[in-house]
Amino acid sequence: MSFSVNRQRSLWWGISLVVILSGLMAMAISSVSLGSPLRLGLDFIGGTRLQFELACSTTNTCKQPIDIDVVRRILNQEGLGNSSLQVIDQYGIGIRTIPLGVEQRTRLSSALTQELGAFNPAQTQIETVGPTLGGQILRSGLLALLVAFIGITIYLTLRFQFDYAFFALVALFHDVLLTAGIFAILGLTLGVEIDSLFIVALLTIIGFSVNDTVVIYDRVRETLKLNPDLNIKEVVDQAVVQTLGRSINTTLTTLLPLVTIFIFGGDTLRFFALALIIGFVTGAYSSIFVASTLLAWWRDRQPTPTPSPVT
Amino acid sequence: MGKYRGWLIAILVLLMAATWVIVRTPARLGLDLRGGAQLTLQVQTTDKVPQITPQVLSAVQSVVQKRIDGLGVAEAVVQTAGDDKLLVQLPGVTDPEQAERILKGTAQLLFAPQKPGTEAQLQVERQIQAQLLLEQTQLLLEQSQNANNPEALADIEAKLAKNRESLAASQQAIANLFAPSELTGAMLQEAFASPVAPGSPNWNVIVRFDPQGAELFARLTKEIAGTGRSIGIFLDDRLISAPTVSAQYAETGIIGGNAEISGGFTAQTANDLAIQLQGGALPVPLEVVENRTVGASLGQDSIRDSLYAGVVGLVLVLVFMVAYYRLPGLIADIALVLYAIFTYAAFLLFGVTLTLPGIAGFILSIGMAVDANVLIFERTREELRLGKTLYRSVESGFDRAFASILDSNVTTLIACGALFALGTGFVRGFAVTLAIGIGVSMFTALTCSRSFLFYAISIPSLRKPTWFCPKLETLK
Repeated sequence: MSFSVNRQRSLWWGISLVVILSGLMAMAISSVSLGSPLRLGLDFIGGTRLQFELACSTTNTCKQPIDIDVVRRILNQEGLGNSSLQVIDQYGIGIRTIPLGVEQRTRLSSALTQELGAFNPAQTQIETVGPTLGGQILRSGLLALLVAFIGITIYLTLRFQFDYAFFALVALFHDVLLTAGIFAILGLTLGVEIDSLFIVALLTIIGFSVNDTVVIYDRVRETLKLNPDLNIKEVVDQAVVQTLGRSINTTLTTLLPLVTIFIFGGDTLRFFALALIIGFVTGAYSSIFVASTLLAWWRDRQPTPTPSPVT
Repeated sequence: MGKYRGWLIAILVLLMAATWVIVRTPARLGLDLRGGAQLTLQVQTTDKVPQITPQVLSAVQSVVQKRIDGLGVAEAVVQTAGDDKLLVQLPGVTDPEQAERILKGTAQLLFAPQKPGTEAQLQVERQIQAQLLLEQTQLLLEQSQNANNPEALADIEAKLAKNRESLAASQQAIANLFAPSELTGAMLQEAFASPVAPGSPNWNVIVRFDPQGAELFARLTKEIAGTGRSIGIFLDDRLISAPTVSAQYAETGIIGGNAEISGGFTAQTANDLAIQLQGGALPVPLEVVENRTVGASLGQDSIRDSLYAGVVGLVLVLVFMVAYYRLPGLIADIALVLYAIFTYAAFLLFGVTLTLPGIAGFILSIGMAVDANVLIFERTREELRLGKTLYRSVESGFDRAFASILDSNVTTLIACGALFALGTGFVRGFAVTLAIGIGVSMFTALTCSRSFLFYAISIPSLRKPTWFCPKLETLK
């Protein structure tokens, strides 16, 4: 037994705490400056996002790149001065405004066409999300998270025991908090916004994180059954070492496609892939270093040995 | 080893079935991939309609559906979403503005008396319109059948545009045959289908007006009773029914605010008309709460990038498995390719609409599908290191890994269930694709990998422990 995960558990817990605390700090700063712990995207707060590309860019006949000042002036004329504005590849523009109705939107796009030239409809992207709908998406997303938490806890309590389920849940919170924290930091530094795909990512992380934890727990349960007198710390150490190869390989095979999506996939999926990469790495970490060590610590403190769970 | 031969044949049959499904079924691409507009409409409550009941929603849905049919968009989808929302998908529509405008207005229901001396003309015009509508249905069908043939499509679309013009002209011509009237759907209280006699296959539609409407209706019917002229019932300016009033009402008109529209309806058509009337009568405004429009070529770029990423990711995983697990790795790779084929066939069978997040879920599930194999092979290696025979090791590898595979997949399925039950739109799509992926991956890992592996070790020349665990000799 060369590697003992329990020997240096304060170090592992410390690492997790530091990362989580910096994430929480970023969320606090973000709450004060942006009004929410994470920088919320269109999906949640509502608004209109318009993306246009000049028709001449496909034929390479554009005389001059889009002048951002002209666009800014048009937006001011329409009373949309607060909108965020971005020129994409010289001949494209992305505009993010408050929710616009059909008439306002038509007026804006025709004003832009007049000043800048015709846009290519095949490259146009319009998204409008009403503020009420945005709130609903966020609420239903958080509710889905909560229901998933409860369902998983019940299932694990039935298959293992309640303390197993509880620490798996702690590991879950750890992964979700950590991923959210890193995105809070990204939101503050790079302006990364979260959308509904982020909620999807969190739920996938939950599934995967428990996945990892369950495999180790399964080993703990099995080892305990074979050697009921063994110290719980040793049982956990053994279980971790025995499943380490699997943990590393599975994380690797899952990360491979995610990294390819992150690098080659379109813009829409890039941050989705990043959230999953962060979540899966921390999921593997928390299963090995948090969920199992906490279980060992807890069972070690129990005065009477608990009977080994029945499969 | 006859048992495994049986499984191998079953897998082969399944593979052929899946291939057949893939070849025969066209993929349903989401709007984010094929381009088009997706609108979410929220039904608003008013003083008159303080609560959105399922009846109200289905009435509004029917009106919206009719309006979209009027737009002439092929393969448009109108679904209810939640208690008070409608989801409208318009593939290929790059200018959602027109759609938005048409959908938002309240359906207008109008009762108008026919002008004198237009009886013959009305019949001719209605025949023309019926012909045009038939033609439109035919053209829309052709349009969806020729979706992959741009040349034919252009031709069909030109014909459709012409047909739409003729329809509008015909509608106008019909409308001109009726006199203006003040009796509108706003004065309608109720409309429902009812059999002519109990148990009869013939149905009527009963309408009930409010007092003001009842008075107008009595006046109107009195005017045309026995003349052979009809009352035109217009929904959104389109004549949906033109019943006549029999001579017995010539004295007073139809009083009491109740009217029966008879016209040889079946239960189905009577109910449809009742819903239309009810829907048309409902002064509920719609609000567009979400509008996502993606240009056609933007979608193409995303597909290409995502597929590229998916294939690269899959190849890396395949290479890794052979490099690390040797012969079992190769077998897992075969199972993995089967997994990809089966899952894709399952998507097509279940009618899953492929969206960008859905493709991501699929790619992700490929990575996760390896997990079951990794668990089994790691276990097999352990048993080999403990000195067990190859056959025993493989067997207990499968047996012992099963509990882990089951537990870990069930927890992921629970998360999928929560996403599906509470999520909306594409979030649900992601949940479905991930859940199908997990189900199929358990099947391929436990059935395909197992049969292949046992079949492999039944061949003597493949029975070398080092092909299962490279460093076995040095460990011993």
